[in-house]
Amino acid sequence: METVTTTGSAASRLTQQPQGGTEQVTPGEIENVERALIDASTRVPVLMFYTSAIFWLLVGTLLAAFASFKLHSPDMFSGISVLTFGRVRAAHMGMMVYGWASMAGMGTAIWLMARLCRTTLRHPLVLVTGAAFWNLGVLLGVGGILAGQSTGYEWFEFPTYAGAVLFVAYLLVMSWAVLMFRFRRGDTIYITQWYLLAAFLWFPWLFAATHVMLFVVPVQGVMQAVVNWWFANNLMFLWLGAIGLGTAYYMIPKVIGRPVYSYNLAAIGFWTYALFASWTGMQRLIDGPFPAWMITASIAAAILSIIPVATVGLNHHMTMRGYFPLMRYSPTLRFTVFGAISYSAFSIVGIIISLRSMAQIVHFTQMSVAYSHLGLYAFFTMVMFGSMYYIVPRLVGREWRYATLIKLHFWSSAYGVGLMVLMLLVGGFVQGLSMNDASLSFTESTQSVLPYLRGRSVSGILLTVSHFIFAYHFVLMLFGLGRTASVPTFLNPIEPEDVHP
Amino acid sequence: MKGLLPLFLGIFGTFAFSWTGLIFIPNLQIGHLDPQTEEDGTDAYPSPRSGMAERGRQIYAANGCNYCHTQQVRADYAGSDLDRKWGIRRSAPRDYIFDRPVLLGKMRMGPDLANVGHRVPVTDQNAPAPSATTSTTTGAPVAGASPAPAPAASASPTVSPAPAAQTASAPPASAQNPTPSPSPSAPNEVVTAINGVPIPYTEAWHHRHLYSPRSITEDSDMPAFRFLYEKRQIAGQVAADALNFDESSTDAPPSGWEIVPTYEAKCLVAYLMSLDQSHSLKEVKTAAAPASPPAPGKQVK
Repeated sequence: METVTTTGSAASRLTQQPQGGTEQVTPGEIENVERALIDASTRVPVLMFYTSAIFWLLVGTLLAAFASFKLHSPDMFSGISVLTFGRVRAAHMGMMVYGWASMAGMGTAIWLMARLCRTTLRHPLVLVTGAAFWNLGVLLGVGGILAGQSTGYEWFEFPTYAGAVLFVAYLLVMSWAVLMFRFRRGDTIYITQWYLLAAFLWFPWLFAATHVMLFVVPVQGVMQAVVNWWFANNLMFLWLGAIGLGTAYYMIPKVIGRPVYSYNLAAIGFWTYALFASWTGMQRLIDGPFPAWMITASIAAAILSIIPVATVGLNHHMTMRGYFPLMRYSPTLRFTVFGAISYSAFSIVGIIISLRSMAQIVHFTQMSVAYSHLGLYAFFTMVMFGSMYYIVPRLVGREWRYATLIKLHFWSSAYGVGLMVLMLLVGGFVQGLSMNDASLSFTESTQSVLPYLRGRSVSGILLTVSHFIFAYHFVLMLFGLGRTASVPTFLNPIEPEDVHP
Repeated sequence: MKGLLPLFLGIFGTFAFSWTGLIFIPNLQIGHLDPQTEEDGTDAYPSPRSGMAERGRQIYAANGCNYCHTQQVRADYAGSDLDRKWGIRRSAPRDYIFDRPVLLGKMRMGPDLANVGHRVPVTDQNAPAPSATTSTTTGAPVAGASPAPAPAASASPTVSPAPAAQTASAPPASAQNPTPSPSPSAPNEVVTAINGVPIPYTEAWHHRHLYSPRSITEDSDMPAFRFLYEKRQIAGQVAADALNFDESSTDAPPSGWEIVPTYEAKCLVAYLMSLDQSHSLKEVKTAAAPASPPAPGKQVK
């Protein structure tokens, strides 16, 4: 009975309270039981994905903090090959993209798929095996990078053997997810399912095509860089981005208890996203030794991607209209809305830095690091945190123990990533200006960005604190030490006038 | 949205569209380039690197040098790459046809390295003139393209067997001049060196810089790569390739000890010295003199 009572959405309970708890009739109860069964069937694999993801998040954060300090204190540990900046940075990226982001994304995607297909998860052992192999792949990859076997392709640094393990693990996960889609009940396919199905299909094509073009039948010369950035960009948009957007499309309406504002808008947003986002990426090679038309096409696609950004943003905004005060209470909503807004910011920064006049200044500067963190952290990671705050209680049958810890987590994450992005955006701009002034010596351009890099290190400390707080809270939940209340943990005590807008 | 088939086709279609536009068509355009040659088939550029330099590329990639150094010179309309004399022309796809992995880079926390095997040091006023004070290092053969084989073991700084082709009496350091570019530009190097213009980065300079970046450029924020060097007790004589330090230098090993590059360090330096895009390309306008094979490297901004 415990799990049943925790399955309803936070807001439906919120909105019910002032009305004195409307009696649920039988169909509703059946639905609740059904949901509880589905949730229970996803319990082991999803928790395994989450636990692994959070482990990689912690290690990756420590590596990031180390790399960040290394940039302004380059003599730290210079005698140890494993700890040289280039290896630590690559290991950090690998852990965050494949260890944290992909595993958290897959965990959430599996749960969402089961919920939306309204089918219990059969053979969870397949997924557990997939998760185990994926972990092995990340471990091998990171170990390989630290041992000096990086391939030299950004976002694809894992040695080929690690990539092969990841791919096998992925096929296990995907085959299962698509199978679940096959056994879905009901005709309509919800928006979230479009995104998830697309992500699940795009990733293996992308990964395999890149692997073939870089290692099996390698393309010549600069085409490797083209393949490399095509991969990195699409991994961000078509894999992580699609999962992130799909999750936001589920969580926001679910928590506030209203349907999505417009399905048509959502369809436009989805297809323009698929079309334009997959064509961006080459602007990272701007002014390089490539055909100009190719880069221009990507810049145009980046500009056109304002269409999906605007439609998705508008849709979320209209769904949320009048319900924004709920962000005071629901951790899920707060994280998810932060992520959704960051997605817009991420895309707009992406457009600005790809314009040729701007790229002249900020290309080859820390601005690109700001951009990736906007996408990977401010957007994707925050959405994932939000979904975990929603899903984990439904898996373990307990509610989050401390509202204070959630608040601390949110604020240190939000301020941490905000500070980081701000520092790197401004620092990158300053760096670019002094780099383009040929009368200044080159080292002046790197010196000019150092204060900002120190600021970034401060943000790294904030983020480290935030992640350890979250991990601690998660471990409490895992060991059944959460609250046994029937009401979810709200960030603040409910004030009824906020609930009815 | 109803029906799985349109959804699936759309998902596949957008992916295939992106692949066709950004990979397949560009690959038709720039994916099958040959080296450029004169009409009589001579003067091929670029040419594959030597084994050591290729190994050096792996070390460059493995240690993430590409996270801070680019290897691409932008055209005059973008950035100040040419003004900074990071090259005499913009980079072109043909420059990279033998590169695997290609290490173009996307960040400049360090200067561009597209021509570091050819360039002269410009910004180290406070440098202790390393090429003059350090002894010659040996062992790392220069790029396979070099027409004049580097003097294999010129251990003593005073001995300067100038490459046979060059008649001018070269200063000691020019003996280590990699001259990886084909012969036409090689004499130029020697002449400019004689006129008091700084000589290109030498192997000794690179080793010293990798071991202790801030002993050469005070403001450098490059990590030191000390793990590529070995500290050992001097057995009898100081090794020919030992790093040479000023007496005052805090990096100097205690007396009786020496710092020698490992094989990996030598490969890395061989790779760095092989980075040279000074050869003109027909499809790229060289900044000053319109492309003629003996484009004089040094006079061009």
